[in-house]
Amino acid sequence: MNPVPQPIQLEARGIRKEYPGTVALKDVRVRFEGGKVHALIGRNGAGKSTLVRILAGSTQPTAGQVLLDGEPVELRSPGDAFQRGIATVYQELSLVPGLSVAENILLGRMPRSRGPFIDWTSAADQARAVLATMDVEMDVDVPVGRLGFAQQQTVEIAKAMSFRPSVLMLDEPTSGLARHETRSLFRLVGQLAEQGVAILYISHRLQELWEIADRVTVLRDGDHVATVEMAETTAEEIVHYMFGETVQKERPADLLAGREPVLEVRGLSRGEEFQDVDLTLHRGEILGIAGMLGSGRTELLKAIFGALPFDRGEIRLSETTCRRVSPPDMKDLGLGFAPEDRKQEGLVQTQSIRSNLCLASLDRISNRGFLSRRRERRLIREQVDRLHIKAPDVEEAVSSLSGGNQQKVVVGKWLGTSLQVLLLDEPTRGIDLQAKQQIFQLMWDLSRQGIAILFVSSELEELVEVCHRILVMKQGRIRQEIRPENTTADQLFVQCM
Amino acid sequence: MVWARSSILELVLVALCLVLAFQAEGFFTVGNLLNVLRNVSMQGIIAFGMTMVIISGEIDLSVGSAVAFAGCVTAWLAQWLAALGLSMVMALPLAMCLALLLGMSIGALTGLIRVRFAVPSFITTLAWMTVLTGAAQLITGGFPLTPFPEWYNFFGGGYLFGVPFPALVFLLVFLTTHVLMGYTSFGRSVYAVGGNPEAARLSGIRVGRVKVVVMASVAFLAALAGIMQSAQIMSGSATTARGWELNVIASVIIGGTSLMGGEGKIRGTLMGVIFLGILVNGMTLMNINEYWQHVVRGALILAAVLINRINERSRD
Ligand SMILES: Nc1ncnc2c1ncn2[C@@H]1O[C@H](COP(=O)(O)OP(=O)(O)OP(=O)(O)O)[C@@H](O)[C@H]1O
Ligand SMILES: [Mg+2]
Repeated sequence: MNPVPQPIQLEARGIRKEYPGTVALKDVRVRFEGGKVHALIGRNGAGKSTLVRILAGSTQPTAGQVLLDGEPVELRSPGDAFQRGIATVYQELSLVPGLSVAENILLGRMPRSRGPFIDWTSAADQARAVLATMDVEMDVDVPVGRLGFAQQQTVEIAKAMSFRPSVLMLDEPTSGLARHETRSLFRLVGQLAEQGVAILYISHRLQELWEIADRVTVLRDGDHVATVEMAETTAEEIVHYMFGETVQKERPADLLAGREPVLEVRGLSRGEEFQDVDLTLHRGEILGIAGMLGSGRTELLKAIFGALPFDRGEIRLSETTCRRVSPPDMKDLGLGFAPEDRKQEGLVQTQSIRSNLCLASLDRISNRGFLSRRRERRLIREQVDRLHIKAPDVEEAVSSLSGGNQQKVVVGKWLGTSLQVLLLDEPTRGIDLQAKQQIFQLMWDLSRQGIAILFVSSELEELVEVCHRILVMKQGRIRQEIRPENTTADQLFVQCM
Repeated sequence: MVWARSSILELVLVALCLVLAFQAEGFFTVGNLLNVLRNVSMQGIIAFGMTMVIISGEIDLSVGSAVAFAGCVTAWLAQWLAALGLSMVMALPLAMCLALLLGMSIGALTGLIRVRFAVPSFITTLAWMTVLTGAAQLITGGFPLTPFPEWYNFFGGGYLFGVPFPALVFLLVFLTTHVLMGYTSFGRSVYAVGGNPEAARLSGIRVGRVKVVVMASVAFLAALAGIMQSAQIMSGSATTARGWELNVIASVIIGGTSLMGGEGKIRGTLMGVIFLGILVNGMTLMNINEYWQHVVRGALILAAVLINRINERSRD
């Protein structure tokens, strides 16, 4: 490693950003140094992503300056930032699904052999080399669209890495990653910091910060609240900075799963993805599925909902046995499904928050096909209050919400339907601590109403905290059933490996 | 945004009318304005259907040919049924219904091909465009068919309460589609399907059904326009309505609907249709040469799309 004589310094000074109806950042001043990992945290909508977008040149601040090594710089476009060595992994993925992994990593910079012709061999080699530094093995020729969310996130990080940046900003890079991938990401981040790269790291997983960060900056509602050394602070202090006062909610004692089965899955198989899956979900039960990336959990949920066809097996829901299912039919039978990838699968980005929240319950807010504004308003108000969605105006496009608030909309749109069973794939992805508690609370409330929940999460702590039972899924099969009382997240992790 | 844009369009429209009122002789007469309304009606009817199609993320390039085809089919069927011994009073309405049904089925088929085999509607309707023009030529043998009795002209040239009949149909179709897209759950589904088909599917919306219905609707409306057109010219002609698809798509886009799908308003299309109609009428009244009219119209489409883009960008 060549030592960097003077560590790079990126500073934001007096940054203010106004959006119609909101001030996302108010006079924020922070400094990021080379060789250090700076955590940036704050609740949903605090302004973290906005700050990152400004430093990445993809949004212009209303007021304020960005300084690189003490010199004011103009970041008019993402290109300006790249040229100065600032690379970014955004919260929402920005890959081209039809292009291969290698093409995505080297997008716009594909190596040429002679004249205009692309040198595919060296492109693949370069892409593989970047992935190797990250300790990831991946087929670089497959189209990115075929990869799962976490793998896509890995490609996104590799893309940023391939610029050999001197400042690397990661906006919730671990939100879709399971433990194993998180580990290798941390190793990589550590190496980069040693090489003098300044790292800006956003996450809602507080525990991670002590492993990875040197310093933490807390934003609250656009204000810079504090910057402290990780070594000198505690989780309580940080949480206090983030929220003011908080109440940690415990799992209520009165949560009992019923006896009658509401959803029964028998011998469900789909190609290589999962085989002979049996599971039974009882009334009011919260059943967790723990498993690594690629264990088939997402595919299983999608198949149950009818979004992916299965080869063998059957699903029994509300006294109906189905061998071929489709999402509308399953919805009519009382099934709901919140997918993991909110941008591609969960939301209609061009539409308002209101339209998105009603999307799954159109038949319930309409009368013989005609929408009832009154019922619609009531439904919206209920969901916004229940989930504490932070939105200046529900008529705004859903894409103007912060990531965590978008996630709440993905879950919220099912709450207005006549639910029996709710399938949740990573429902807490990108959600802050308090909002996560709200989602848990919501799951417990639903459970009390008799609604059963099938809950997939990469955060094993969550499963242990929330579920009645946990199934361990490995290489497409259910291997084990575990009671959360008898286990810890660490033990569960070992079972999943 | 769409609202702000369509009010820009409305302002421009008012300004245009004022200019024309002073510049073009005979523009501000009841007769001329009704004339404008009649002229835009046929294409306007299709434009409302096209708006739904484009919002749902599809397109229909075959509407022009479908107009000609429907007119020819009506004429040919009427002739054939009459030859079988049916009186015109029976034969013609039957022929009209069959033409509508046939037109609608073709649209539904496009939708089904889109859903089942994932063939883009752009391709399928491009094929239909040629097929239908050819079929219309075949049916008519290259010469306009003229079996129509005098009273049939009412559907294209007649007046009801002093208003041209096609204009009444135009208003009716406007109201229906406006309500459908703005106030029904079906309309919401169309927007969702165009905005993000996968998210719509995973919300339990029957994406395939929505696509088939909108494609069938626009084809039905094209057939309806075809019948009225044949009634106006009192013949089934294979060469009528050439290039209508472009005018129709232009008025939809001028009205602020995004070709990317998921965004747009029926009301915007109404403005777009009337705007283009008045512009053409004004230019004709002012004796502007027809080639210039084409240039101006083309430039206008580009300007409208540019305004759309600039507005979208200023949102960030
Ligand atoms: N394009 C936009 N238009 C309007 N408002 C916006 C836009 N982008 C962000 N905002 C608003 O700015 C505020 C800050 O959003 P930001 O995305 O920076 O939050 P965040 O801290 O990254 O939250 P999360 O943890 O949920 O990702 C939010 O209130 C959000 O609604
Ligand atoms: Mg964010």
